[in-house]
Amino acid sequence: MVDWLSLAVPFAYLGVLLGSLATFSSLYRKRKATKAFSLEPWFPAHVQRDIYFNLLHLDPPKDSGSKEKKSPAVPESVLKAALLRRAIEDIKRVMQLRSQKQALAMLLQRGSVGDDLWQRFTRAEKEMEEEVRDVVAEANAYVPGWGQTIFQSANEMLNNDLYRERMEREQAKLEEERKWWEKKKANTQEEFMKELDAEAANATPSRKQSDGAATPNSSTPAIKTPDSSSGAPPSVAGSSDDDGVLVEADEQGKK
Amino acid sequence: MSSIDIYNPLPLHLDPTSKAITLGHPTTSTSTTALATELTALNTLHRALLETPSQIPPPPLPINPKRSAQITKLRDSANAAYRKNHFADAARLYGYAIDMALGRPGWEPVTLARDELAALYANRAQAWMSQRLWVEGLVDARCSVESKAVGNVKAWWRGGKCLVEMGRWEEAGRFVERGLEIEGRESEGGKELVGLLGEVREGLERKNRV
Repeated sequence: MVDWLSLAVPFAYLGVLLGSLATFSSLYRKRKATKAFSLEPWFPAHVQRDIYFNLLHLDPPKDSGSKEKKSPAVPESVLKAALLRRAIEDIKRVMQLRSQKQALAMLLQRGSVGDDLWQRFTRAEKEMEEEVRDVVAEANAYVPGWGQTIFQSANEMLNNDLYRERMEREQAKLEEERKWWEKKKANTQEEFMKELDAEAANATPSRKQSDGAATPNSSTPAIKTPDSSSGAPPSVAGSSDDDGVLVEADEQGKK
Repeated sequence: MSSIDIYNPLPLHLDPTSKAITLGHPTTSTSTTALATELTALNTLHRALLETPSQIPPPPLPINPKRSAQITKLRDSANAAYRKNHFADAARLYGYAIDMALGRPGWEPVTLARDELAALYANRAQAWMSQRLWVEGLVDARCSVESKAVGNVKAWWRGGKCLVEMGRWEEAGRFVERGLEIEGRESEGGKELVGLLGEVREGLERKNRV
């Protein structure tokens, strides 16, 4: 009887101690987890990876009916293509991380950025490491030895894509340039016509008639070589009289 | 289940005959359009992969000689057309060769595509220039130097020439100077670039005088 009472005190002490420790540890862990969870991921959602996993888990179509065709719904070639796309995106991300690391480390050292930014970064780094390892393992599972070359191929594909995009952008400028050139050609033609008119005004009426008829043909060389036409006005103006000079002044105003 | 196995579910649908992957429920928002473009890229890649042995991209080297042979053939016929002064035909044939070279599967080395396309664009620029189509020539020359800046004097010169012909002196000066920086004045083509630069300066002066 007495034994029980004297024993209860240390037991109660132990119970309170362990209980408080347990609650503290669980609270601490929970808070840390929520804090880590609340950190924004470094990269946006990995679409290619999502597609790949979705394809892996895609159910076979139910309406097919044929029970003997128990092969996976998605052919392996599609999965391989999806894996390759995933590898390309991985390369992009890994390169991004590599280029950002130095700058970020420097900023952190100077105290310009917060600690949780660095935490986010290291977490992304770790995730990417895991991701790359996973892709290599998956590739090896499809074709033994593919793991060694998948990232090499993906890198080449990425570079090719970038290069083609740049070429497309350059070629896309063609329309704009062409429009500009048409406008400029029209301008030079107008100037040339004015010049012709000025010349024709000086000439006899009969010559004016023939000049007007000849303009469509004679205007073509002027369109094609504007540099010669832009160089020509002084000489033309020099040879003609006041009217020609007026035209030249007009031109200057336009330019 | 580790974090690597977690993924976002997407409404994907597999076409049983063509094996193309499409979105199950077509909705319009920015995220789904991005997803749709990604899926088209995936389907194109899949079709390209189907033609390879064991359906994985072969290692970058050695390359498949078939496409190279086709491109060379097109280029040769384009060169022949150019020599016969059929410039429009030559430009068209160079265009086919360029399309063919652009269509190389992505896993082939990018340097190969760059070299090939640099030459083809430069040649097409020449074909345009022979027809006095300066805009087209300029765009192709720009593409060519963009593909391969070093050892591409011809393209630098052609681009500069097109700008000169259009009377864009300042741009021509900048373009040719950049070409000179990269190619150096000492080389054979460098001298021609220096000559063109002189022409540009003259034109600029003339324009300022007017």
